[in-house]
Amino acid sequence: MNLQLVGCSHHESGIRLREQLAFREDQVPGFLNLFYETYPESEAVLLSTCNRTEFYVTGRNPDALPSTDEMIELLARHRGINGSTVRDSMFHHRDRQAVFHLFKVAASLDSMVLGEAQILSQVKQAYQLAAETNDAIPFTHHVFQAAIRAARRVSRETKIHSSRVSIPSVAICSLAKRIFERLDNKRILVVGAGKMAGETLTYLNEEGARDINLVNRTFATAQELGERYGGKAHPWEELESQLGMSDLVVSTTAAREPVVTGGMFDRIEASRQQRPLLILDLAIPRDFDLEIGDRLNVYLYSIDDLKAECERNRRARKSEWPKAERILMQETDDFLQQMKRREGGPAIAQLRRQVNEVKELELRRLLNRLEIDEEQRKEIEYSFNRVVNKILHPPMASLNNQNVDEEEQQHSLLDALKRLFQLGD
Amino acid sequence: MDWLDGISITCFAASYLVALGLVVSRIFFRTSLRKYLVIGIMVAGLFAHTVYLMRHAGMEFSSGGVWTGNWSAWTLAAAWCVATACLWIVIRQPQSVVGLFLLPLVLLLVGIGTFLPGESFSASDSRSVWSMVHGLCLLLGTAAVVFGFAAGVMYLMQASRLKRKVGRSEWFRLPSLEWLQNASEKALVVSVALLGMGLASGLFINLAGNRIATETDPNAVRVVAWSDPVVWTSGVLFLWLVAAMLFNRLYQPARQGRKVAYLVVASFLFLMLELGIVLWSGHGATPDVSQNTEPVARCELPSDQIHQETV
Repeated sequence: MNLQLVGCSHHESGIRLREQLAFREDQVPGFLNLFYETYPESEAVLLSTCNRTEFYVTGRNPDALPSTDEMIELLARHRGINGSTVRDSMFHHRDRQAVFHLFKVAASLDSMVLGEAQILSQVKQAYQLAAETNDAIPFTHHVFQAAIRAARRVSRETKIHSSRVSIPSVAICSLAKRIFERLDNKRILVVGAGKMAGETLTYLNEEGARDINLVNRTFATAQELGERYGGKAHPWEELESQLGMSDLVVSTTAAREPVVTGGMFDRIEASRQQRPLLILDLAIPRDFDLEIGDRLNVYLYSIDDLKAECERNRRARKSEWPKAERILMQETDDFLQQMKRREGGPAIAQLRRQVNEVKELELRRLLNRLEIDEEQRKEIEYSFNRVVNKILHPPMASLNNQNVDEEEQQHSLLDALKRLFQLGD
Repeated sequence: MDWLDGISITCFAASYLVALGLVVSRIFFRTSLRKYLVIGIMVAGLFAHTVYLMRHAGMEFSSGGVWTGNWSAWTLAAAWCVATACLWIVIRQPQSVVGLFLLPLVLLLVGIGTFLPGESFSASDSRSVWSMVHGLCLLLGTAAVVFGFAAGVMYLMQASRLKRKVGRSEWFRLPSLEWLQNASEKALVVSVALLGMGLASGLFINLAGNRIATETDPNAVRVVAWSDPVVWTSGVLFLWLVAAMLFNRLYQPARQGRKVAYLVVASFLFLMLELGIVLWSGHGATPDVSQNTEPVARCELPSDQIHQETV
């Protein structure tokens, strides 16, 4: 399998370099077309996310592929920078290492947040773009389909994706689900309109929340956030009345003092009639007085309470790493073995055909000269077949069962086979 | 089929016990196969349970189209209802440990069923349609109270864990508070309705017996057997459930959270008291003729007469 890869990721490159080498989706086809002008016999895929830019190149003929330096130069030039300035900050892999790396990326074992689900769809999207730019990419098709299969297997057989690791996701998708069966019939109040509020709203929408209300000191910001994520903005003065009506409150203000005090909560408590209330206080310093959490049917969680769960989930994901890696190694071996069979397949078929032709010729000649009955005829045919199979078995077995690490040796065996038996390409 | 005749209480009790063991094993190891094993073993247990009820427990249709049985069979049937509910929830929420709470109750009912009188209800009792309604309502009401108890206990545990900010555990996952509250509330309402109907049909059987007895023997003075511990504790349990339901319906905060849970837990304690009294008094069983004692308010007429009176 001829697969080459150059790239930069959050592991070894700073955000500045990643920004320099990042491609927008609409820039990718232009880059790939430029590449095909110079290397028409190759196949290429460009994967560009906020955490990585990776350039994969493959093809039948290894001599027709660009070198690693040429790939880096091409990438850099297209982004308007000098290749030599970024070369040291970029990594490169070939063949087995490149396949394994792609499998790891697709399965999100190489992600900044281990097990994040978004990367698989980004890998699929990168492949899709490559296929739209050039519809003759058989090698790319095989390796990317195998990567997607491997990622799905990791997801199915390990718990690497099962637990959430960001504060808002744990708050909404894990904690709120322990209290509420569903969120579509709950009244939700988001206090504050910062970045954390935006992220929380994403998860609320994912979980089907419909009745979302926003309260912020600057009404216009709340309105803007409401328009972007879906939610009704209310003036800051309505905080108390909104609190009385809500089932779930997410607070993310940057206030220096608590915005909801015990006294304020006293005033709305009677109207709530002990309805369960989940308060997710994601602000630092806290927005809710601590003693509110002691009230009946009130569950008050601060960012520290949630951090512990996030950390626990991170550890749980990490503990799944060895199992996930084992699966990917196995998938890589299986894939390379499969590719090797695919590569040797035509030569083997041709060899069988040639030998069978010789066998048929000699058999017919012999049978024409002998005067024998049908049963004896069959016996001779059977013996000829056995001889052919016995002769062909050892070279076939050597080609099929060779260790995937001995790829070079496999290529030379295939060449030897072709030359010895005068098989065409 | 002959092999079905070999099914005994041990078969399904053992199945439920193994399923419970598998649920408990979540503490020690994780496997995705467990939920299928639990479901498979519970289905096998329920199959054996059903066969046992149909073939061995004396629950059969009499010639008058009435379902007969005895206290043991009815309790085992209540266990069957709770086990079915448990299986349904295990299928719907395989990650939750509902089985940890419901399966011990199923086993408890099976245990009680083993000790309760196995004699058929007195001939007249068991052959009236009202007796069947009486038994069926009490059976389903018992199952509802038991289910409500499990939901209530789970609610209290989940609420306590959330208050103490205990993180989500891989092996100990409970349904959401909202689900548990709804389940407790529904169990309360259903148990009131069923036990109320059970009590009313029981009283009707008594009164019918009185009227016929008085017609036969003008000197006979028979009243509802309030002195029978089973009758008065049933009355108290019913009154408690009515009060609990009214409290729940009319006082808004009582519909929220722990109060519902406390109500269903208390109902279960009442129910256990009542089953204990049944066990002790032998209510409804065929009287021991050798001792020549006769329960005070039991209808002792031929079944055809009872049928005419009640239907």
